[in-house]
Amino acid sequence: MFKRLNVLLIAFIFFMIIGPAYAVSGELSNVKDYLDYLTDDEESELQEAIDSVRTGYNLDVVIVITDDTEGKSSKDFADDYYDYNGYGVGSDSSGLLMLINMAEREVWISTTGKAIDIFTDSRIAEMIDDVVGPLSEGAYFEASNTFIDDIRYYVEMGVPQGQHRVEQEYQGQSSTAYYHKVTYFDKVLGLMQSFYVFLFALIISGIATILASLSSKGTVTINNHTYEAKGSFVLSSSRDDFIRETTTKTEIHKDSGDSTSSIHTGSSGTTHGGGGGKF
Amino acid sequence: MDVVKGYRCTSCGGGLKFDPASQKWKCQYCLSEFSKNEIETDTPIEESLEKDISDLDSYHCTSCGAELIADNTTSATFCLYCRSHSIIKSRFSGKFKPKSLIPFKITKDQAEELYKKWISKRIFAPKDFKRKEEIEKITGIYAPFWLFNCKSEGMIRGEGTRTRSWTSGNYQYTQTKYYHVMRGGHAKYHKVPVDASKKLDDKFMHMIEPYNYNDLTDFSMKYMSGFMAEKYDVEASEAEVVMKGRVEKYMEERLRETVDGYTSFSLHDKKVSLSDIHNEYSMLPIYLLNNKYKGKDHIFIVNGQTGKVVGDTPISRSRQFAFMGIVFAIVWIISVFGGAFFV
Repeated sequence: MFKRLNVLLIAFIFFMIIGPAYAVSGELSNVKDYLDYLTDDEESELQEAIDSVRTGYNLDVVIVITDDTEGKSSKDFADDYYDYNGYGVGSDSSGLLMLINMAEREVWISTTGKAIDIFTDSRIAEMIDDVVGPLSEGAYFEASNTFIDDIRYYVEMGVPQGQHRVEQEYQGQSSTAYYHKVTYFDKVLGLMQSFYVFLFALIISGIATILASLSSKGTVTINNHTYEAKGSFVLSSSRDDFIRETTTKTEIHKDSGDSTSSIHTGSSGTTHGGGGGKF
Repeated sequence: MDVVKGYRCTSCGGGLKFDPASQKWKCQYCLSEFSKNEIETDTPIEESLEKDISDLDSYHCTSCGAELIADNTTSATFCLYCRSHSIIKSRFSGKFKPKSLIPFKITKDQAEELYKKWISKRIFAPKDFKRKEEIEKITGIYAPFWLFNCKSEGMIRGEGTRTRSWTSGNYQYTQTKYYHVMRGGHAKYHKVPVDASKKLDDKFMHMIEPYNYNDLTDFSMKYMSGFMAEKYDVEASEAEVVMKGRVEKYMEERLRETVDGYTSFSLHDKKVSLSDIHNEYSMLPIYLLNNKYKGKDHIFIVNGQTGKVVGDTPISRSRQFAFMGIVFAIVWIISVFGGAFFV
């Protein structure tokens, strides 16, 4: 029975490691500059940076520069562009898209899949702040680089504690009123693929094995009181002299809204998060 | 005078054996029982033990005359041919005369039961080791111990901190107060036991402690009847070094326990000194089983008074790995299915 279990375990570990690699999407250009603001060199440099994010973090990154949003709002155009062009990594099409809408002089970041959880509203707001500066000066290449750097930075930080999704009120703007609720089954699937759960179980089982092996011999059950003659201990001197004191002061980070990811559903039925700003 | 002693039944002349269950001496053949005073009415041999009796090269069984197989330290044993119990008096004489002993409370049957129970719980022991039918070889042995009494005086010094934190406005404040902490005290320690046999593993002998000293009685050779016994081969002065280390640690810990009310305490300096050190040579009961497995000895010891069990088994890697795999699977399943309620 043990042998069969071991085989299962190995198969499981194998699956854990190989699984995500299958999901990496095929060749797609991730820099769509319809207004030719970027040189070819800049485009290929950005594509290279995006490729490394995709393989390193399993997140797709798309940058779109256009002045024609087919009559849609920046938000809807960004969501649809991402969905209908088949971007995204993994079964939940994880990734981010930054739309630079020159018609409205507006920038919009749309998040999908696990990017929704990492890029909370407050982080999106920070990222928008970071790119608005260069965009208003016409530095599109610099803005795009900042965008990718910010992605790396926040992905490294991971999902903030207490992160939760909040369904945005349906405003009648998007064509389908489709509410996608995260079910228990989705959560189970998510945790099954989680490396941290895997690591946690590995560490606990390792510690349990070491402890069980060590304690199998028997333990010392005497302590410093065992052989002390009853009542013979006398504390003859005892001093507690105050020497100095220090006080440190740290700023409290206001947490309100920090952990919220607002979500909505695009016309394709996929859930997105995101935010934007004017430049 | 006989150098080898065997206690005999007054009714039939058979060998007598101390029976831990009844705390009396029982004849192996006619099953008569005798109390301590009934065994021997003539001059107690204990007195003759005060003088050194010189060790001989070989000893012979008092029943059948065969030579006794005995190590240099064996002081009570049984004859390989007629199974009668023999006590080598010279090895309990002079400086080897123990002052006290704790009689066996656990019977051999109980010790065997304890072994079976214990081995069934050794999840990492290989199957063929568990199956080994060596349980018969479990032996009751009076193990030599040095018991030390001493006074101890100690002092510790260190730095203690108290932290307090509060918030005011947008800031969190943490205040740390540092104190110079000193504690001094003294205590008496009674009967700290130190293994006096080189044959027996110190680590395991330490683990079978504690013994209940309420049962400690004056040494009498009669108790040896029916058991093996060893004489000490660790001198009192060597054992004292071991005892000192232990008592110094006890004292330090005792003083540290009095340091309270601090968030943290770090020890900078300690001093413990012992005085009025007295030792007493004592025989304490153990059951011992030595299992050989793939050329290595694996020891199993039961405290012959309290029944506390310690021991060591070979460890099978594949069983360890299987155990880890099962724990991993359980933790993983609980984390995934249970954790999903909380994320």
